[in-house]
Amino acid sequence: MARLNDDAQWIILMGFLVSFSLFFLALIINQSTVVGQSTAESVIEFPKNDIRDISHVIKEHAEKNGKIDDRVYHDIINLSIQREGAVVNYTLNTQYYQRLDVFNHSLIHYNNGVTTYSENWTSE
Amino acid sequence: MVNSGGQLYTIEGVAAGLIMLLTAYLVVGATSVYTPGDAHISDMQLEVLGSDALAMMDTPPNSSVTESPLQQIIETDDGSRFRNLFLNYTNVSGYGPKHDIQFSASYTYEAPDTTITSPPINSSRNLTGGEHAVRVTKWVIVNKKLPPLSADPPENRAVLVEVHLWRD
Amino acid sequence: MLAFIWIASMIPGILLNLQSNTIDFDAVAYRTGVILAEDPGWPSSPPWEFYGDNQKYEISRFGMAIAKDSPGVLSQDKVNRFFCSSFMYPDDYQKWAIFGDYPYRFNISVKDIDGGTGQSVGDVLPDRYGYIRRLVKIKGTSNTSIGSAYFVAHKYINNTITAIPSDFNVTRHEFSILINNTKLREEQKSPAYQIDPTRDQIIINITDLRSTIFPGYNPGYIPSIDRSSVNISLTSIKVYKLDGGTLSMVRTFDTPYIDGSSTPKAPPVIVQDNISLIINPRIFDIMQTGYSNVYLNLTFEMQDHAVPPNPLNSSFLNNTLTTPFDYNYHPANVTQPQLRDAVMEVAVW
Repeated sequence: MARLNDDAQWIILMGFLVSFSLFFLALIINQSTVVGQSTAESVIEFPKNDIRDISHVIKEHAEKNGKIDDRVYHDIINLSIQREGAVVNYTLNTQYYQRLDVFNHSLIHYNNGVTTYSENWTSE
Repeated sequence: MVNSGGQLYTIEGVAAGLIMLLTAYLVVGATSVYTPGDAHISDMQLEVLGSDALAMMDTPPNSSVTESPLQQIIETDDGSRFRNLFLNYTNVSGYGPKHDIQFSASYTYEAPDTTITSPPINSSRNLTGGEHAVRVTKWVIVNKKLPPLSADPPENRAVLVEVHLWRD
Repeated sequence: MLAFIWIASMIPGILLNLQSNTIDFDAVAYRTGVILAEDPGWPSSPPWEFYGDNQKYEISRFGMAIAKDSPGVLSQDKVNRFFCSSFMYPDDYQKWAIFGDYPYRFNISVKDIDGGTGQSVGDVLPDRYGYIRRLVKIKGTSNTSIGSAYFVAHKYINNTITAIPSDFNVTRHEFSILINNTKLREEQKSPAYQIDPTRDQIIINITDLRSTIFPGYNPGYIPSIDRSSVNISLTSIKVYKLDGGTLSMVRTFDTPYIDGSSTPKAPPVIVQDNISLIINPRIFDIMQTGYSNVYLNLTFEMQDHAVPPNPLNSSFLNNTLTTPFDYNYHPANVTQPQLRDAVMEVAVW
């Protein structure tokens, strides 16, 4: 025991190095799957067009006071569930300020189980 | 005292070998990860194109036209006009890859007894089930008797236009 | 050995970059397509397309859609500015349309199918590239042509009195055009069909000037006239703005196109037969006329060089006593904006 034998430190250092590079590789593997999936697939999965379409058809059809025809609303709700697998909801909240000032706040809601979307809208 | 110098080299060699093996595996594996991704890309392009086409068909050309071409098509059951317009839009030529696109279109409405019915509009080829098709939809408000033989007068209804499109 | 291990472990990273870029190209093309076709860009007021070449570094994002709520409807003004050669390929487009640090190369084009024209920016396409095609509409400009039939129908010229030559005599020849921004905004809410002088160019053509100099000419009362010897001089085009009940002159409009010329000429200028006013939206935007009435007043002067002189003073174009010409949604007054089919293609590599 004249002096400390430090040969084993190399081994420990190597262990560190190997574990770090493994960690690094694992990180890359992890990312590669993310890149492969998230680009095109997520574009397809995110129902941007469905949401925009629902919002558009409701806004186009709503009257000035924000009301939409019962028959049309009924169609939209039922067909959404049956054909798009999405719950659509439209609620109109009319507030009166001093009898003549009327404000219509509407809420358009969309939920297909994965994506939920809500939009506040005021008809003019 | 045992000399551990040789062990160091052995371990280093083993570790390096492992890493190289792993590297080779990753390089080979990396390419195979993306093959399904490629299919999604063409799906994505097709879906964008289809929904754009429907959106354009649902846009009146100016303010004095109150109904969009798509609304008129549904109201008058004009399947051949749908076919012309849709193929015109989807096969429009640019510098990009040619799109030999086939489609099958229908619209869906709810009958008074709450059954959901989807009469066809038109199709360029029958959908046999073997195709790798994407589905695009568009909401349209039409003033129409639904079902067509109903005794009630026409009223505003929301119908869902559905198009399946695929490449040959 | 350590260095070797380190390098070896980097290899998949490098390959991964190569691999992910082929996928990335399609994703970037898609993203760029969405940004350009569905977004109006930023800043929005004044919009990015108004920024001149000196202030172009204040732009933060391109986008050609007319409004956020009408995706797929492009503004002609934005499209023209986007393809303007003062933006540098690839740096400017990379910064404001493509985004990201990777030095992508790309080609963006908009082909106007109905108009039969196309514009593009970028490199020649390689064999493999990421690609997206968007179907869009381009909102055309509105325009009006005011000619003799219109002058007569709206009594912009004095042709009702034919008996006494002195009745032809109108000392002021002032023609005024009204652009009622409040009404334009209220009567058409949808941005795709709205006439918006602060965002879209408007064109006003005034024609048949020569043939209407002596509108009430009646050979029974007046023996002969010589139209060609009369100089019609457009002395000024003044722009007035009505704000809160006060009418004030804001500026003059100095770029009318005279007689089909391709370069504008500032008044006073001699006019043979017609005047075109192509009014750039920037003018309206700078005046902040979002909701106010704007009047364009054209003043004419007549100099008679006929020998012998024409027997009457002209009752030429004058609507100071009637009503100004209204630039509105009436198809008889104004040709409404048309949406034209177009296709946008983005290729990235």
